[in-house]
Amino acid sequence: MIGDAFVFDGVAHPFNFEKDNAYGQPGEMFSNHLYAFHATLTPDGQPVMPPEQFLHRWTIDEIREMVYEHSDTDMLVAMPLPLTDLYKDGLSPWEECARLAQRDPDRTVFWGTVNPLEGKKAVDDVTRQVEEFGAKAFKFYNVRYEDAGPVPWRMDDPKVAFPVFERIQELGVNLIGVHKGVPLGPQPIEHTQTWDMDGAAANFPGINFVIFHVGLPFIDETCWQLIRYPNLHASIAASLNFIVRAPRQFAEVLGKLLFWCGEDKIVYGSEAPLWQPQWALEAFWNFQLPQDLCDGYGYPQLTEQAKRKILGENLLRLHGFDVADTKAKLSKPPGTPLPA
Amino acid sequence: MTTGVDPAVSDALRGVFDPCCRDKGISVVDMGLLHRATVSGGVAQVDLLLTSGWCPFASRVLTDIEDAVAAMPGVREASVRIVWDEVWGPDRLSDGARSKLRFLPPPSAAGSPAAYLATVRAEEES
Repeated sequence: MIGDAFVFDGVAHPFNFEKDNAYGQPGEMFSNHLYAFHATLTPDGQPVMPPEQFLHRWTIDEIREMVYEHSDTDMLVAMPLPLTDLYKDGLSPWEECARLAQRDPDRTVFWGTVNPLEGKKAVDDVTRQVEEFGAKAFKFYNVRYEDAGPVPWRMDDPKVAFPVFERIQELGVNLIGVHKGVPLGPQPIEHTQTWDMDGAAANFPGINFVIFHVGLPFIDETCWQLIRYPNLHASIAASLNFIVRAPRQFAEVLGKLLFWCGEDKIVYGSEAPLWQPQWALEAFWNFQLPQDLCDGYGYPQLTEQAKRKILGENLLRLHGFDVADTKAKLSKPPGTPLPA
Repeated sequence: MTTGVDPAVSDALRGVFDPCCRDKGISVVDMGLLHRATVSGGVAQVDLLLTSGWCPFASRVLTDIEDAVAAMPGVREASVRIVWDEVWGPDRLSDGARSKLRFLPPPSAAGSPAAYLATVRAEEES
């Protein structure tokens, strides 16, 4: 816990940055791009890894240690990346995420991923990941890399997306995350925007959808959708990591989210190991919106109640966990590693 | 506010686009990305604000701007820097750009999300 807030980290990726995992220059460029995020946004006074240390195959023990031993995180989502045209194993393979979750089955939650463009195989993969590996949710990426080029698909596509969503629901899972904004390399911009979320949210009111990275830079567009659909939510994963380098920019984003979608629909994620989670957690716990943004624009202030919801309670609720029971069972005292 | 932008530099950059705005025909000038731009003794210096600090295309935009400025008559050297300690905001948009993009009003003008939603729906139905 940080302060009295239970921390449920919504995203960590066991990256495989080994050079021979990348398919040539595009994959290596993407790895370097992620390293630049680490090196640029890690604040002064915090350790910045040299490239040779950062760009390796992260083991589940290293992820576990970074998140649970060196931060006030109480629970974690192990989240895959399926960039299968940039990396031989997709960069963060789902099997590795399932293993990470198996290390701490009470604390670490496995999210699956499939490629809806693969049709029946995608539906079968959903079944396997839920029934055999206990996937509690799924994460999607709307621009796939196949045949040496980007292949986009939409969340509102009744032929590509909906059969997968239907199977997910049949299996009793009702939580889906989607990467939006922040193009992962040379992607067609329009498919990283959020306009397809209307159709997904409207056709699957029983599924809660989490828009990762709040669709940045398309924050107003994202807010406009969050207002209109109760089953759309926003993850500040990675967006949060501007909190020290560009606090005013982060305040603008958070202020808009607090006003338009409210504190009940915002969730936290660390993106470990891109950044060590603790500095951003501490910065967020101590953060307040500049008063002129509250006075001049009418943004609500970031209260401790809002922080508790954003850091853990909202994501617990989205997973169907009882907030009070889970906090009582799994809270780590601040500054301590996992109990033996 | 854009500060100290040489009009000749602005003119040279009206055909340069951030990839996110190319389809709408909104240039880096109309997006209000230019913070400062000077030309002195054949040396051009452009300081740029980004709408989002983590756009992976930022380096491409910087290169496009540098190329366009370097091609200006009388310029023999051009460099482009990103300014991090100021925040881009929609107030920097040109009127033309603003009309092409949907931006939510400030909360103080919207009243509440529900009130704004009701207003928009009423407008759509009328």
